[in-house]
Amino acid sequence: MNRRFSQPAWHLVDAKNKICGRLSTQIVSLLRGKHKPNFTPWYDCGDYVVVVNAQDVHLTGDKLRQKHFIWHTGYPGGLKQRSVRDQLKLKPEEVLRKSVLGMLAKNNLRYDIARKLRIFPGPKHFHEDKLPPGTPSVL
Amino acid sequence: MVKVKRGKVAAVRRKKFLKLAKGYVGSHSRLSIMAMEQVVQGLQFAYIGRKLKKRNFRRIWIYRINAASRARKNVYSKFIGCLRNLNILLNRKILSFLAFNDLSIFNLLERKS
Repeated sequence: MNRRFSQPAWHLVDAKNKICGRLSTQIVSLLRGKHKPNFTPWYDCGDYVVVVNAQDVHLTGDKLRQKHFIWHTGYPGGLKQRSVRDQLKLKPEEVLRKSVLGMLAKNNLRYDIARKLRIFPGPKHFHEDKLPPGTPSVL
Repeated sequence: MVKVKRGKVAAVRRKKFLKLAKGYVGSHSRLSIMAMEQVVQGLQFAYIGRKLKKRNFRRIWIYRINAASRARKNVYSKFIGCLRNLNILLNRKILSFLAFNDLSIFNLLERKS
């Protein structure tokens, strides 16, 4: 949206064995730009965050089995659910993405901020030009 | 009994509201009854907004001071506490401005605390 305050930086985050929710709060802080002294809540002044190893994110307790993502297709009898374990098998990035996006305010800015979050299931990512291999993980 | 003509009293009152309703969409700036409703609500929100504005800006200053403190391994609460102990009475508006614009002074304050 509005980038004239500062050039957005790129941060690499390794999600391997990190607790999903606790990691997400810190990611949201970076995405929103809360760490910058020119933070303005109505501008997208945050940074890009590239998350790798999202398939190895950790959830405490029995959440792998018990926590379900629930949605309704709109058709009668269309309540569907999927456990975190199955989601991790199907599309592991979504577990962390839902966690992070759920922590963002549900407003128009959310779309722009969500664009800055790049999640990858394994150790490789597509942003080698901004984050050359060997960059340390920020969190 | 002398005839009492109501004169311009009502028209003057309605004109006052229509003047305040300049720029409103459609009949809200043309018809006096609708204009009155919109203007009254607008003035109410302006009153509330003037008070909210003060609160909101203080919030933004605190966010910014906190961000700048944390970049220097400090925390807003401790920073403000130390400044108060040192009897520095700069307000948060100035502190946030310094954090963004004049880093040298802000760093000085940080080191003192």
